[in-house]
Amino acid sequence: QEFSCQIWGIFFLKKTFKGNLRNYWNFLPEGFINTQLFTRFLSRISQDSAGQFFSSGHTNNWAVLVCTSRFWFNYRHVANTLSVYRSVKRLGIPDSHIVLMLADDMACNHRNPKPATVFSHKNMELNVYGDDVEVDYRGYEVTVENFLRVLTGRLPPSTPRSKRLLSDDRSNILIYLTGHGGNGFLKFQDSEEISNVELADAFEQMWQKRRYNELLFIIDTCQGASMYERFYSPNLMALASSQVGEDSLSHQPDLAIGVHLMDRYTFYLLEFLEDIHPASKANMNDLFKVCPKSQCVSTPGHRTDLFLRDPGSVLITDFFGSVRKVEITTEAIDLTDPIKEVEERPANGDVHKEMHSYVDQLPVSEIIHQKPKQKDWHPPDGFILGLWTLILLVFFQTYGVKHLRHIF
Amino acid sequence: MAAPLTLLLVLAVTIRAALFRSSLAELIAERVEVVSPITAWKRVVEGLALLDLGVSPYSGDVFHETPLIIYLFHFVVDYAEITFMLADVITAVALYMAVKDYNKQVFRKQKFALEADRYPLDCLELIRSPKEIYLLNPFTILSCVAKSTCGLNNAVVALFIFSTIKGNTLLSAIFLCLATYQSIYPLTLCAPAMLYLMQRQYIPVNFRRASFWWFIAQYLFMYLGSLFVLICLSFFLLGSWDYMPSVYGFILSVPDLTPNIGLFWYFFAEMFEHFRLFFLCVFQINVFFYTIPLSVKLKEHPVFLIFMQLAVISIFKSYPTVGDIALYMAFLPVWSHLYRFLRNTFLVSCVLLACSTLFPVLWHLWIYAGSANSNFYYAITLLFNVAQILLVSDYFYAFLRREHHLTYGLYLKRKDGSEATLVLK
Repeated sequence: QEFSCQIWGIFFLKKTFKGNLRNYWNFLPEGFINTQLFTRFLSRISQDSAGQFFSSGHTNNWAVLVCTSRFWFNYRHVANTLSVYRSVKRLGIPDSHIVLMLADDMACNHRNPKPATVFSHKNMELNVYGDDVEVDYRGYEVTVENFLRVLTGRLPPSTPRSKRLLSDDRSNILIYLTGHGGNGFLKFQDSEEISNVELADAFEQMWQKRRYNELLFIIDTCQGASMYERFYSPNLMALASSQVGEDSLSHQPDLAIGVHLMDRYTFYLLEFLEDIHPASKANMNDLFKVCPKSQCVSTPGHRTDLFLRDPGSVLITDFFGSVRKVEITTEAIDLTDPIKEVEERPANGDVHKEMHSYVDQLPVSEIIHQKPKQKDWHPPDGFILGLWTLILLVFFQTYGVKHLRHIF
Repeated sequence: MAAPLTLLLVLAVTIRAALFRSSLAELIAERVEVVSPITAWKRVVEGLALLDLGVSPYSGDVFHETPLIIYLFHFVVDYAEITFMLADVITAVALYMAVKDYNKQVFRKQKFALEADRYPLDCLELIRSPKEIYLLNPFTILSCVAKSTCGLNNAVVALFIFSTIKGNTLLSAIFLCLATYQSIYPLTLCAPAMLYLMQRQYIPVNFRRASFWWFIAQYLFMYLGSLFVLICLSFFLLGSWDYMPSVYGFILSVPDLTPNIGLFWYFFAEMFEHFRLFFLCVFQINVFFYTIPLSVKLKEHPVFLIFMQLAVISIFKSYPTVGDIALYMAFLPVWSHLYRFLRNTFLVSCVLLACSTLFPVLWHLWIYAGSANSNFYYAITLLFNVAQILLVSDYFYAFLRREHHLTYGLYLKRKDGSEATLVLK
């Protein structure tokens, strides 16, 4: 019986090797829980599936979503970013793990005929700007410097947590960039650029500082593939909306709002992501198929040579969602002994309280209370004497007393 | 003419008092055309405050007034407005009485000359007095409302002119010394003062005469002696010689390049350091340079020389303000009889008016709107100074021409009897 159980265990191990533990529970028949065999079986399963538990390598998910263009006519870039934000949030990544950088405010732009909304479908089907959009870097804060600082973690100590990418070596990070770009660069704010070399170096810094486990880089700009050409750090997978020499096109203009609402690639990406739910088994190969040339006009590209796992084994939710692996256990855990409170009893009965205070380095009280009274300056007496003597001398020399009546 | 004078004084005081009470006072007090780093009231207050705190007011670059000003304002700082109004009044009254006296002398001379049949009959004109021009000149009013110590300088110079015209050598020397002590440039007024006093005492201006040199020695002795006394007295006020570099060093070496209506700031702002001393010397000599040629030419007419010198000082000094301009403009009515010989009145008056209005406009454009730059402001400064120079040279020309006409008659005839034209060579 043990033997058969073991075989059954092996069978289950094989079957569950590619799934997560939750799916494993779907296979278990009911009523099988209370035998001791099963307990042993389970512990072995849990030991072995512990390996499977960490097979994907990450324990937390982060997303850095950047829109780099400002001005009203670049509405679609903000809509792109917000669509990905929406998907990512829907699939489980909390706001605390999303760094959203929007270079301009379209929802409250005074040219927006529908204020406080950013639509991503024609006919205003989907408002991606809801009540719970948390923008971390806004407006002119979206600069190349800030972006690189977020990635590498070199931020001034006063930066709040919401603006930091606090990833560790077990984080899977999704980085999504959109805006206007060219061969080898991406334009920020209409005034500066980030080059593909800089980006590659930033990712290398992240790798060396162990700031990511795996990183998915998606870029939706013209000639976007040039941005991932220079990557050289391990565990990077990159997708771009167009090859070098091609322009990424926008999807549809909305006549009510007056601008193009989304770019094609992200539009189809959003459509694809809308079908993903947290338990979805869709993998990266499906993502690579998003937006073929017939729909996108440009040829999307991807790069997986730096990625250690097979893309077919990488789930979409590994990057887009924050799927927490939950292990339900019936074991009781024994906490350690309660922490003893150390009570200090003073030797004598009364409590000796010393008021600790800083040593007075400057006797401020003395200075304040004993400030010498300000004496007004007076000209020296000798001066006054001398001056008026001279004046009187001159006066009487010029006008002898008898001449006074000629003057007046 | 005491009644119109008092009326005018009352009117002027009323205008100034009204402006003092209005909100324009602060506005005007900040304008760079009216106040300069030497004359600003803000700096006087700052210096006195420093003194009250026990620090020498000359430490740092704030205060550039002489110790006598410290002494004066230590007691009257609360009544500053009245002091400045009083200074303006003194200036006006002194100028009025000076010119009245001068009128009398000129009339006397002309009468003598008429009797000696030296003047043709058609050249007599009435000389008007400068009181209206000084008191009601918008420049003066602005200067007074801004409480610029230029008003005090003007008062001292006016008293100097008054005492010179009265003929009092000692007082003239002392007031000139005070004026020089305040700002160095009235030094050049030594020459016309000496010339006038010599004329008055009938000492011929001849280099070979002993009396000439004796008089010069006397005057210079009085002048330098009082200057020495004043400087030593100033030393005793604060017990240190700090004021010398702060006042005189400041005036001569022009470290502060705040824009004003003078010519120094722009040049020195863009000058290379190793040329600075050279150009400083050139610019400063420019002020003193015209003394000797002008005094040679105008040795018979020292009062006109005073006017010319004052004008040259206010154009070429290192930190001119509109108060200095007001002083020499006060003299223009004295030469109102030259009006028929002036050639550029329209041009000069238009340019002066236009520049006066453009100064605040371009300042605003430069400093506040940011759409102009210093070149705009300096262009107007240059234009303003060119207009002033044109005014002064025009008057000079008119004066010389009148002198020529006085000698040779108004309607010039060539030797063959046809009409001749007068050409200034």
